[in-house]
Amino acid sequence: MSTNHDCNNCPVHNLANLKKLGVNMENFDYVVALAGNPNTGKSTVFNYLTGLRQHTGNWPGKTVGRAEGGFEFSNNKFKLIDLPGTYSLLSTSTDEEIARDFILFGQPDVTIIVVDASRLERNLNLVLQVLEITERAVLCLNLMDEARRHEIEIDVRSLERDLGIPVVPAAARQGEGMNDLLSKVHEVATGSYVCKPHRMTSESKAIKKSIEELTKKVVDIYPDLPNARWVAMRLLEGDQRIINAIRNNELEELNKIENAEVQNEQVGEVA
Amino acid sequence: MSPLLGIIIGLIVTAVLVYLVYPQKGFLDKWSKGKRDKKKELIEDALKHIYDCEYKGIKCTVHSVGGNLSISNDDAANLLSNLEKMGLIISEPEFVKLSAGGKSYALKVIRVHRLWEKYLADHTSISEEKWHHYAEIKEHDLSPSEVDELAAKLGNPFYDPHGDPIPTADGEILDDNSIPLTSLASGEFAVITHIEDEPDAIYSQIVAINLHRGQQIQLAEKNEKRIKLIAEGDEYVLAPIIANNIAVTKIDEEEEIQSDFKTLSSLKQGEEGVIAGISKAVRGRQRRRLMDLGIVPGSKVTAELFSIGSDPVAYLVRGATVALRRNQTDQIFIKGD
Amino acid sequence: MENKKEALIAESNVMRLKVGENFHDHLIESIYEDAEKIASRAIVKKGKTSTFNLERNIDKIVTSRWFGLPLMFLILAVVFWLTIEGANVPSGMLASLFLDTIHPWLKGLAASIGMVWWLDGLLIDGAYLAMAWVISVMLPPMAIFFPMFTLLEDLGYLPRVAFNMDNLFKRAGAHGKQALTMSMGFGCNAAGVIAARIIDSPRERLIAIITNNFALCNGRWPTQIIIASIFIGSAVPAHLAGLVSAGAVVFIAVLGILFSLAVSWGLSKTVLKGEASTFSLELPPYRPPRILQTLYTSLIDRTIFVLWRAIVFAIPAGLVIWLVGNVTINDISLAEHFINFSNPLGLLLGLNGVILLAYIIAIPANEIVIPTILMLTVMSVGMTGVGEGAGVMFELDSISDTANILQSGGWTLLTGMNLMLFSLLHNPCSTTIYTIYKETGSWKWTIVSTILPVILGVIVCYFTAQVYLLVTG
Repeated sequence: MSTNHDCNNCPVHNLANLKKLGVNMENFDYVVALAGNPNTGKSTVFNYLTGLRQHTGNWPGKTVGRAEGGFEFSNNKFKLIDLPGTYSLLSTSTDEEIARDFILFGQPDVTIIVVDASRLERNLNLVLQVLEITERAVLCLNLMDEARRHEIEIDVRSLERDLGIPVVPAAARQGEGMNDLLSKVHEVATGSYVCKPHRMTSESKAIKKSIEELTKKVVDIYPDLPNARWVAMRLLEGDQRIINAIRNNELEELNKIENAEVQNEQVGEVA
Repeated sequence: MSPLLGIIIGLIVTAVLVYLVYPQKGFLDKWSKGKRDKKKELIEDALKHIYDCEYKGIKCTVHSVGGNLSISNDDAANLLSNLEKMGLIISEPEFVKLSAGGKSYALKVIRVHRLWEKYLADHTSISEEKWHHYAEIKEHDLSPSEVDELAAKLGNPFYDPHGDPIPTADGEILDDNSIPLTSLASGEFAVITHIEDEPDAIYSQIVAINLHRGQQIQLAEKNEKRIKLIAEGDEYVLAPIIANNIAVTKIDEEEEIQSDFKTLSSLKQGEEGVIAGISKAVRGRQRRRLMDLGIVPGSKVTAELFSIGSDPVAYLVRGATVALRRNQTDQIFIKGD
Repeated sequence: MENKKEALIAESNVMRLKVGENFHDHLIESIYEDAEKIASRAIVKKGKTSTFNLERNIDKIVTSRWFGLPLMFLILAVVFWLTIEGANVPSGMLASLFLDTIHPWLKGLAASIGMVWWLDGLLIDGAYLAMAWVISVMLPPMAIFFPMFTLLEDLGYLPRVAFNMDNLFKRAGAHGKQALTMSMGFGCNAAGVIAARIIDSPRERLIAIITNNFALCNGRWPTQIIIASIFIGSAVPAHLAGLVSAGAVVFIAVLGILFSLAVSWGLSKTVLKGEASTFSLELPPYRPPRILQTLYTSLIDRTIFVLWRAIVFAIPAGLVIWLVGNVTINDISLAEHFINFSNPLGLLLGLNGVILLAYIIAIPANEIVIPTILMLTVMSVGMTGVGEGAGVMFELDSISDTANILQSGGWTLLTGMNLMLFSLLHNPCSTTIYTIYKETGSWKWTIVSTILPVILGVIVCYFTAQVYLLVTG
């Protein structure tokens, strides 16, 4: 929960606080990306928050390209970007590249990962990949209504602990949990909730050593990069996009942004 | 004009049209191929051949160049003297060898060839027997920047799908530390690292029995007439001449060897299995897509729905229902129950 | 710094060699391993099997050998029947509003402000009429078809159809989902082409896009029906007329499906042989569709979207249609020049110059082909008392009146048959062509999808004509 005691900024946990801005996204304060497997109700969440009406079909791969919309919550304007639904971020299809590049280089303030509560295990594949890239994420455990129908019970706190990010059970079609989702997004965006995202633990010995060795070298050059390990893994796959990002200083930019934000937060805390 | 004549003329016109535009074998395609720079191709093929000789430690002569490029000995001699004038080769009394410039040129051509084979293997549906053929054409007409772009797209690979090392842009090439299959002792485990794609006749036999690079094998029996090996649960009997074209590296004993596996396609409705692995013959995009869908070692799968003709079949994998075709499930291994 | 970076890249290359090519496999495996651990801790109750079983049992029926296909045909038949039947009344109403009420009113208005005759003709008889026609014929069926299709989609039924049909389509080198893009194509080819996005394998997606035009779209059904009842129905005894002409239309539609499969097969074996192909088809859980939301989004996303594109193309076409009817060289209109010039070719194909011209200038929408043909026939034959003048498209309520016009234009049973064939096998409408370009991003495939059906149409019509002449002597 928020540790901030100045109640001008404190989010009132009420949906009345949500102002759907549709395509009007001028002067936004935070950028929020929306990622998730196909067919998890990602577009429903998008539509709910922005008041827009993207078609949501019961089909994998429906949203092609990316859609943008805006909403206002607790006096902050958010720009919401609906990324294409993908199973993975590692398989180099166009959709996956769009999603990955945005999460990495687009530097969203928060990434909402929408998952299907009744198919959690399969969905976690993407969640863990996203958490390798970004530190600020909120998991939207969507389709809880369906999970309840199947009498599936999920221990949200355990999931929260394991993933290191806020987990919000929701049923976007009914609007259930959207309130909670918004306040968590707000908390992560403002920095009052600091995520400690899960990083991979089960690598086989053979690759673990190499990853760790290379990660050290990446950290040497980019001490503040939040996802040095992920960069190392991409290098081990020979990903030209990352090699280019090293050569043309894009990665350095990411390093700087993180740096600046950390400093801001520290200043904020002192004040 | 009588209708009968009309039909005949129509048939002729249609046939001519089909001949003109038919892909690959048609006139238009042949004509555009005919425009290729024959001279450049001959030069590059000759350099490649000489490089190959040196790599294998054979002495390269006018005769072997002529034979390899299917040109007369006179033409071959002309070609070699031209190459020498260009400073690409050095003539010794008995044979020819590459100059430093010639070697780097040869490596560039080989780089394109192997990258293109890798591209065909990972990003297209061209069948394995044809990779070499297409790469032979493509190696002559990619510009250096196109080649670098291609390499980047493929994730700067080190090996082509046959297991040959791909030279880097700076002309460096990795050493090969694999050994011939025939040098394994009975009972030893190994991974196939290289299948020689020439001559065609032998290569297509190896492809036909579905041995491929990356496959784990165990040598079961070896004598002068035949070599027997076990791979993916099947037994293969090879003539020595075929086995000679396969190279392997021995693997650590601790590594799990695939044996006694059934394929996913053998599951009957309602039966459950645990994924053991995906055949190395499934490459690139195909392979990644399957893994994204949860087809990874250790996943439990249940055969759920059989469509008409039992192809495709829908499986329950990690909570999701995923339909797969027969040609995919034949390449996915499960542990027996 | 730069040196350090290059050193990092070089180092990564050395290590990449060490970790080997299986790195990606290992990575995904370990991610799944983590996922499994986390999920097993988080899921405290795995769920009751009975509700899952219900879904599975539905699936077993829907995809069963004996029941699956009949159910599918039944559902599709109901959808098409509702579309065709349901669209009649609103189409008629729109037509009487746009064509019989607003058009004369606009003409009157133009006259009262003294608009120059050519501007009046160009804008009101050309652009307005083409647009009005497209809206009144296109809108109602699409507004019925798309929501119904979208409901099936949201329910989760369509992936099951793809599953059932995959075996057949696999034999044609295509993806089971092509059954759906094809069904969508029966509504509108442009929408069918967009729907091909659901196919994530590059080769199969291209095949679905290129062959979508062989699905007889909404705009072509009326042409088929009217020509079949005039020419095919009248060739058989009166009591069989209805049945035979309906049969002829169904035959054309089925022929379209066969062409679609055959061309798919041909493409997958030749030009598209090398394109990457990966099959994957997920069967998502069934979900109760939300009717209102669906109606809204399918109306906005599909109906209005396609309609808008059609209108954008129809307006310039309306201008052109009016112009070719009214611009004259040596006192003969451009239209007549072209008709006279192309008539021999038309006759060789069992068609005529009017039809060829109509298909060229009515490229924006198949809906305006018949009105254009009627206008051009009246003009070129020099009939009086019918139609509304040069360059003004029209349609007649009475089938026998329409038949009279066409017969006086020299039409025979062969012309009718071949028009039906050519209506199936010709270039896609400009909306679809544009959509193909948008979706593939490639001129090459756009041109192939445009030219290929025309070539097939010419070949089929030519041989039909020659065989017909041979048989009838």
